[in-house]
Formats: sequence, C-alpha cells, structure tokens
Amino acid sequence: MQKQDINQQDQEILELLKDYPMTEASAGYYDQALARATHEGTRRQRNRWIMTGFGSAIAAGVVLWLLGGFFLTAPDVPAPKANIPGVAMTLEEPRTVNLVFASANALDDATLTVTLPDGIELAGFPGQREISWQTSLVEGKNYLPLELIALTPTGGEVLARLEHDNRGRTFRLRVNVS
Amino acid sequence: MSSESHKATFEQLVRPHFDRLYRLAFRLTGRKAEAEDLFQELLIKAFGKLDDLVAIDEPGSWLSRVMYNLFIDEQRRFARRRMHVVDEGFLSGEGLAGFAGTEDPERDQQRLEKMKQLDAALQKLSDDHRIIVLLHDTEGYKLDEIHGLMNIPVGTVKSRLHRARARLREILSENGTFS
Repeated sequence: MQKQDINQQDQEILELLKDYPMTEASAGYYDQALARATHEGTRRQRNRWIMTGFGSAIAAGVVLWLLGGFFLTAPDVPAPKANIPGVAMTLEEPRTVNLVFASANALDDATLTVTLPDGIELAGFPGQREISWQTSLVEGKNYLPLELIALTPTGGEVLARLEHDNRGRTFRLRVNVS
Repeated sequence: MSSESHKATFEQLVRPHFDRLYRLAFRLTGRKAEAEDLFQELLIKAFGKLDDLVAIDEPGSWLSRVMYNLFIDEQRRFARRRMHVVDEGFLSGEGLAGFAGTEDPERDQQRLEKMKQLDAALQKLSDDHRIIVLLHDTEGYKLDEIHGLMNIPVGTVKSRLHRARARLREILSENGTFS
C-alpha cells in the first residue's frame, strides 16, 4: 500500500472518529443521580458509623435490632484493639483470615464486598481494591476465608460489607504489617 | 457541616464536571445504561470522600481517575460474564440516532456505512486501545490527560494510540471499507 493511501485512510479514520456519536444521558438523569448519590452515600456513612466502635458481642445485638432477623458477628480474628478487630501480617507473606458471619436466617442472593487498602491484596485478585461476590448464607455461622497479601508495610483497614435486600452491614478489620 | 450543607458543597464541586464525566463513562462502557451506572457509582463513591474532594485542586481530573478505576474494577469483577455479552455494536439502536446528517443523503448513507464499519472495528480492539483512541481522537483528550487517567507513561499512551490507529486501518482495509 502506498504511503499516500495510508495517510489518506488515516485522515478519513480520524474524521470518522471525530464524529463518532454517543447517546446523551436521559433528561433529568444528572439530578436523579445526584440525589441518589447523596442519599446512598449518607446511608452508607451512617451504617459504617454504627458498626465502628462496637465490640463483636455488642455489634451482634445492635445489628439484630436494626435488621430484624439478619445479624452478623464481627470477623473471627485475634483480640480487637480499640474495638476494631486486628490482624498482624508479615510483608509479602500470605495469611488467611477467617471472617465469620452469623445469620439468624438463611439468606439467598446476599452480596459481599471486600474493600482493601493500598498495599493489601486478596490472593487471586491482583491489583483489585474492591471485590464482590453473590453468595448465600446458611442459618448460623458462615465462614469466609480471605487470603491476604501485604505488598507494602503501610497496612490499613479491610472493609467487608454484606448486603441483602437493600440492607447491609460493614465490618472493619485492621491490618498491621511488619 | 450539616447534611444539607454537605450535599450543597458536593453538588457545587461535581456538577460542573457532569457532562465530561458522562461522556467519559460512555466512551469507557460504550452503552448508555452502563454509562449511567458507572456515573452513578462514581457519584456515590465521591460523596463518601467529600472531605478529600474539597481539598483537591482539580476535582475534575480526580473524578475522572476514580471513574476509570471503578470501570477497571468492574471489568475485572465481571470479566467472565462480559465474555458472553451479546455481540452488538456500540452504535446499535439509539446510538445511531446521534449520527449527524448533512444535506447530501447519498453522502450521508455512505458515511453512515463507514461509521458502522468503524464501530465494528473499534470492538475488535483491546479495551486499552479502544479507550485511548476514543479519548484522544473523539473526545480530544491530550496525551498527558490520558496518562493521568490511566496511570501509564505518556510514551506508552503514544505507542498504544499509534498501534490502535494502525489496527483500525488494517481492519477497515480488510473489510473493504476503503476499497
């Protein structure tokens, strides 16, 4: 192919790309999205605050009261420090942490979302900060083993959020890296 | 700060960037419904980080980066499912209605056909190549802005843009668009 032909084709492609159309957002969508964001953001923030500062035993009771039949215990990890459960990790050494969610009822189609701080990864999900699963909970204790890897010595908080039927709870797990 | 005050501050910071953010969402996802979902998820996330947002000099760039990261996370999370998404063009259905016509119907028809071929060709590119070429050549992002968004060196942006254009030319030549 002649260079001149290539240049001409490139030019035509660029012109097509400039006009490559898009579909505008629906009328009133921005306002709706803004309203939903502030409402949902406030709800998530409130839920986080409710969970913060409660020990596992107290938290189970509080959540039972709030959700009615759907209660969760705090992660089954070593003794809490400042009311947030914590786990010690060694840099670049995988460690499995078992989270235990106790539910009063069996729950189908629950969503579990794990949010990781910078420098902490979940084995099998390199580079991902947030991982979600659709899951079902049986009545009683449900175990979730998470294999964590610390890539930097910073540490931070791992958040595990369980949602079902527009209700949910967020758990915090402090990760210290040495 | 009261709840209402929080909301007002948030709106003041994000609303000026809505059009650009929605366009970015659409270029990333290629579909209105997914673009709206991504846009929504960004706003929810950003509202949760209002304290950070207030302190940022260029909230537009920050919001774009967060949106891109949300998109990448979502891509990875549903990678398996997305492999089975029906093979439809980005411009299928309502998207084509956005194609501007001229006073020359014959020329419009030819151009529309080429646009369809371009649409199909774009789908054959990797996500990275497609996103870079759309942001640069369609949305007018500068190389440096793409570097900031995707967190890859400017040199890599340039080489990917070059390869993406070459691949588009190759596909469009193969299918006879330029014959």
